[in-house]
Amino acid sequence: MCIACLAFALYTAFSASAQDVTVRIHLARPFGYFVGDLIHARIDVSAPPEALLSRASLPNPGPLTGSLELRDVKLRETVEHGARLWRLDLTYQNFYVALDVREIEIPSFDLAISTAAGAETVKVPAWRVGVSPLREITPQKQEEATDYMRPDGSAVFVNETTPRNLAIGAGAAALLALALVARDRAWPPFQRRKVRVFSALANELSARRIESGDGDFGAAIQSVHRALDAVNGATLLSADLPDFLRRRSEFGPLRADFERFFAASKRRFFGGERSSDDFRADELTRFVSALAKRERAG
Amino acid sequence: MNDTLHVVQKLSDWRERALEFEQEIQKAVVGQARVIRLVTICIFARGHVLIEGDVGVGKTTLLRSVSRALGGDFARVEGTVDMMPSDILYHTYIGEDGRPRVDPSELLRLAETLPVFFFNEINRARPQVHSLLLRLMAERSVSAFNHVHHFPYLNVFADRNMVEREETFELPAAARDRFFMEIPMRAPTDEEARRRLVFDPAFHDTETLIERVSSGSFDYRKTPEVARAIQTHVKSSEALERYVLNLWQALIQPSSAGVSLPDIDLSALIKGGASPRGLAALVRAARVRAWLEGRDYLIPEDVRDVFIEVMSHRIFVDPIHALRGDDIVKRLCHAAFDATPVP
Repeated sequence: MCIACLAFALYTAFSASAQDVTVRIHLARPFGYFVGDLIHARIDVSAPPEALLSRASLPNPGPLTGSLELRDVKLRETVEHGARLWRLDLTYQNFYVALDVREIEIPSFDLAISTAAGAETVKVPAWRVGVSPLREITPQKQEEATDYMRPDGSAVFVNETTPRNLAIGAGAAALLALALVARDRAWPPFQRRKVRVFSALANELSARRIESGDGDFGAAIQSVHRALDAVNGATLLSADLPDFLRRRSEFGPLRADFERFFAASKRRFFGGERSSDDFRADELTRFVSALAKRERAG
Repeated sequence: MNDTLHVVQKLSDWRERALEFEQEIQKAVVGQARVIRLVTICIFARGHVLIEGDVGVGKTTLLRSVSRALGGDFARVEGTVDMMPSDILYHTYIGEDGRPRVDPSELLRLAETLPVFFFNEINRARPQVHSLLLRLMAERSVSAFNHVHHFPYLNVFADRNMVEREETFELPAAARDRFFMEIPMRAPTDEEARRRLVFDPAFHDTETLIERVSSGSFDYRKTPEVARAIQTHVKSSEALERYVLNLWQALIQPSSAGVSLPDIDLSALIKGGASPRGLAALVRAARVRAWLEGRDYLIPEDVRDVFIEVMSHRIFVDPIHALRGDDIVKRLCHAAFDATPVP
């Protein structure tokens, strides 16, 4: 409901008991209501800025008379032009079955307002709206029953090209996204995807929280060797690195990391100068993470 | 401690000279860097060598170059079907006075100064000759003229005729196992090396070619001491030793080690070989390789680099497969490496 935009508005101003409290009643239209119609009214109550409205004094939804019911009450409070404004949106429903055109009365009600001068009662006066009877229509006699019906309004032509293209594009994007998700999750038909050895190893290492000094570090290096063996399809020695990186070019950018890893592994497991060993657990973890990233990209 | 440092320094110096030794040989033998490296390993591991290669690829030139670079003598015999052991030990002839004479053979005469003894087409000789050769290789000594002759610096190089089968006597398993390595020697694949061998007149005259090699770039009398020092000084870690033992297991029982070859039942393939002596030879060769690479510790690459040459002629497979050549043994070795994790 939006009374403010209705074409017809009734303006009624009532002087309240207090000099600067005014009540205005706006109606969509004062006539032409049939039985069952909703009657929308807006009551604007303007008061001094310090005034307070008692919510308890608002009318309660429910039957007002034998043929009139208050359906809904909404209150908004604003300050306009230095005065406090209460805007009451009231919705009535008419149940009067009129046999002729006449007016019915919308009953008055009181609002309780507190001002600096004390408590006051502002009366919203009764007002009247015209109701109309429902009458049968007696059209001119027609030969065909369909002639009594008004012709259909002409259909508005809608160009479907753009929406159809958008729908096709969205559908294709959705299918592509579904395929990517299926590939990522190894759903059929992507279940034969190569096992992500390094991703699993990266998760395992991060869960183990290895330290450089403990025995787990050696075991972690060995587990990286086993993962490399699995990816290579055979035991991978450092001498095999050039061939391996040529075959698995996705790991090519990590050549320096590979060489550092194999050198550290050699020092740890086979001998050599270990005092210069600065290969730490966090570097191993980063190496495996980089391998996992390359594995996913590849 | 001082002794250890002294040995380390000497090993470092010897290594420099060993590399020079290789370079000297490469002046006469082109396109065979791998073969020269393997021969060098055998020299410093004191191991005898089976050389397998077609005629005319340069085996004799190689061995004469090795002999010259070591500064020692060179002796050669040709295996024949009627050769007897005495033909190797004794030189028999009719003297000027018409009486038969028996003198020491070239082999006996050069015993104290002989680092390279080339037995060409060993499989043409009879098993009696093989027997003499086995003792010569194992003990570096023979009995002749009723006393024992020692060959303190000897390395035996034997060539097998792999083309003809008639009038040949294949080396028994025990004899093959006595050889430290079997080195295949093929014609160079490098185009430039091939061009030089064919068109450069320097390679047509073997005598002149051998003279390019500086004599005695590594004194052969030092080789026993160097070999001992290498074997003592180059260390093997626990991980490396476990790796070698796992490789051994993979050769003895391939199926249990997860080794497989397509279309071959590995449970019935291996009939013998891969002996403890063979594995010991493998480690000896790997240690020399590590020393030549400038390390005092073994790495898996050392083992793998010499594995085929040290082990393949010691592994004896079911005759059905043996008829197909030794390719299956090499495939088995590669499969064992692929399936054996390290470290």
